[in-house]
Amino acid sequence: MTDPSSDLAARICGWLAGTGIELFELRGPGTLIRLQRNGTTYTVPPATVTADVVRSGSVGVLRLAHPLRPAPLVHVGDAVRAGQALAVLQLGAVLLSVAAPRDGVVRRILAADGSTIGYGEPLVELE
Amino acid sequence: MIEVLAAGAQATVQDLGRTDCLRWGVGTAGAMDPMALAAGNLLLGNDANSAAVEIQVFPFRVRFTQDGAFAVTGADCAATLDGLPLMPWSAHRVRAGQELHFGVPQPGRWRASRAYLCLPGGVDVPMVLHSRSTQLRGSFGGLEGRALRRGDALRAATSGADFVSSDIGILPPALALPLERDGCPAMRVLPAAEYGRYTQASRDGFWRNEWKITPQSDRYGFRLAGEALRPEAPMEMRSHGIVPGVIQVPPDGQPIVQMRDAQPSGGYPKFATVIEADLWRLGQAPIGSRVRFIETTWDEALDAQEELKVWLEEAARLIGLHRNSQGAA
Amino acid sequence: MSIDEPLFSVLGTTAALFEAPGTAMTLETQQRIWSLAKEAQDWPEVREAVPGMNNLMLSFETPPRRLDELERRLLVAWREVRPLKLAGRVIELPVTYGGDGGPHMADVVAHTGLSVDDIVELHSAPLYPVYALGSHPGYCYLGGMDPRIATPRRKVPVLSIPGGAVSIGGSQTGVSASAGPSGWNTIGSSPLAFFYPDREVPVLLQHGDSIRFRVERIIR
Repeated sequence: MTDPSSDLAARICGWLAGTGIELFELRGPGTLIRLQRNGTTYTVPPATVTADVVRSGSVGVLRLAHPLRPAPLVHVGDAVRAGQALAVLQLGAVLLSVAAPRDGVVRRILAADGSTIGYGEPLVELE
Repeated sequence: MIEVLAAGAQATVQDLGRTDCLRWGVGTAGAMDPMALAAGNLLLGNDANSAAVEIQVFPFRVRFTQDGAFAVTGADCAATLDGLPLMPWSAHRVRAGQELHFGVPQPGRWRASRAYLCLPGGVDVPMVLHSRSTQLRGSFGGLEGRALRRGDALRAATSGADFVSSDIGILPPALALPLERDGCPAMRVLPAAEYGRYTQASRDGFWRNEWKITPQSDRYGFRLAGEALRPEAPMEMRSHGIVPGVIQVPPDGQPIVQMRDAQPSGGYPKFATVIEADLWRLGQAPIGSRVRFIETTWDEALDAQEELKVWLEEAARLIGLHRNSQGAA
Repeated sequence: MSIDEPLFSVLGTTAALFEAPGTAMTLETQQRIWSLAKEAQDWPEVREAVPGMNNLMLSFETPPRRLDELERRLLVAWREVRPLKLAGRVIELPVTYGGDGGPHMADVVAHTGLSVDDIVELHSAPLYPVYALGSHPGYCYLGGMDPRIATPRRKVPVLSIPGGAVSIGGSQTGVSASAGPSGWNTIGSSPLAFFYPDREVPVLLQHGDSIRFRVERIIR
């Protein structure tokens, strides 16, 4: 759970008051605000998910899309399953999957497409 | 190791073909995309010529009845394993009970029409006349000499228990060795015996025009549609040997490219031949797509053959390096 | 290109094709082709020497860089080979002419103007040498059919005729070894099997053997 901008969170609490909405979630690039109804007010619910950084298991050039496909393998906000390819590391003709270690949601892509990656470098943040 | 849950028509077991029985009237059969077959085998550490399943009609679904491994190559069919998306041209570990699903070939950077499923050690069917390819006319080889059906079970020659480097993939030759003309996939072609007996306009048109792969195209031959090829004078031919890639011209002038299941002999005039090194490109061209032909020389054609050999050797080397460095994943 | 010279060409990089001069299909020329095939089979670049009708295809084990050298070698060998008189076997094939197994007999009658009995007599009289194999597993290209029963290939090929179908296509006759499409005129059927995929030599007949059609029955 990232730190909500306190101004924005406070304003949202104001809008939600009296609506009866149980759970509110706002996502954006680098932003996540989650609020849970608690009686008549809204609070940040206890953290139930932690972030994981998926690191490269090899060296190579980072490809966010498989070369055969125009679209990237994942987008921020996508729900992914354990074992699902998040990105690819290319070494010459060999393409190595960077797989999700568990089920999760893609929070951030941490390296640029086409960049040269070393062993253990952070690549994808999973919620 | 696998049970076929759903199969369209024309899925067969193929290896690289039966290349030494032409003198008995036995054509080569074998994979329409031998590069995809070989690459899938290399990803599993198999011999390049190990038998695999060639899938031409989709969807196609199998269940794995044992733990092991597999590779998928050829057309990108958005393959999934128990719903989990797989990358194209990759190999994976698998557990008993898991289901592998091939969807329709995806539009993307390469339009292809045939997919390959490779198993550890290759698909274990008997060798007939030195090959495991399916010979449909005559009904031998592959699985009982026929296309696969729902309920068929296929064994793998080895268990795949030692396959450790899961999720390893390879860059397909369509991207590594691209060939196109004016935005159209292209194949290099060598003129054949009757080439000079066609009109100049026909010959010029053959190289200049796009040729459409008509629906009357399959493993036996690809019927092309385009500007008709006209001989200077009618020709009477004697039956002679034919190999995949030979472009024949029947009386209507619309060329037919003989493919892997072609008869090993024929009597139509031969205009030219797609070189062996580019047959995989044509073999993957979907029905309705267009191709161009590039006039090449004997030396260039041999160089192209060598280029494929080098690509496969390099792929095998890199995959081997990765497998050795991985240890237990 | 002179019609008196043999023709050398390639089928991509997969095979070379050597065609004897002219358009005829004589037995003596075919016997020289058999000789040439026997010699070429031992050449290092050749995988298979495959005789056709007065021609020879050489599939490559390794296509040679020096194609002109191979062409020269073939021409020299062709000038020097003698007809290979093979002491082949004679296989007698029992044929049921006409009826359901000979659906196009009426077309041959219509084209030739001959009666069914005449056609059967002319078809079953010769000893047919096997010139070459091809077309499909075990299929034999035969020489020596009587030109009086020649009937052009069908405009619309039949999608599937069964193995054992005895047919006339132009000036040639043959027996199919397995079910498949055909543009020839099927005049009879025979029960013999021509192909055995599990055998080392999988064919019943090879070039140099001969077929005699024995009239088993005529269904008019």
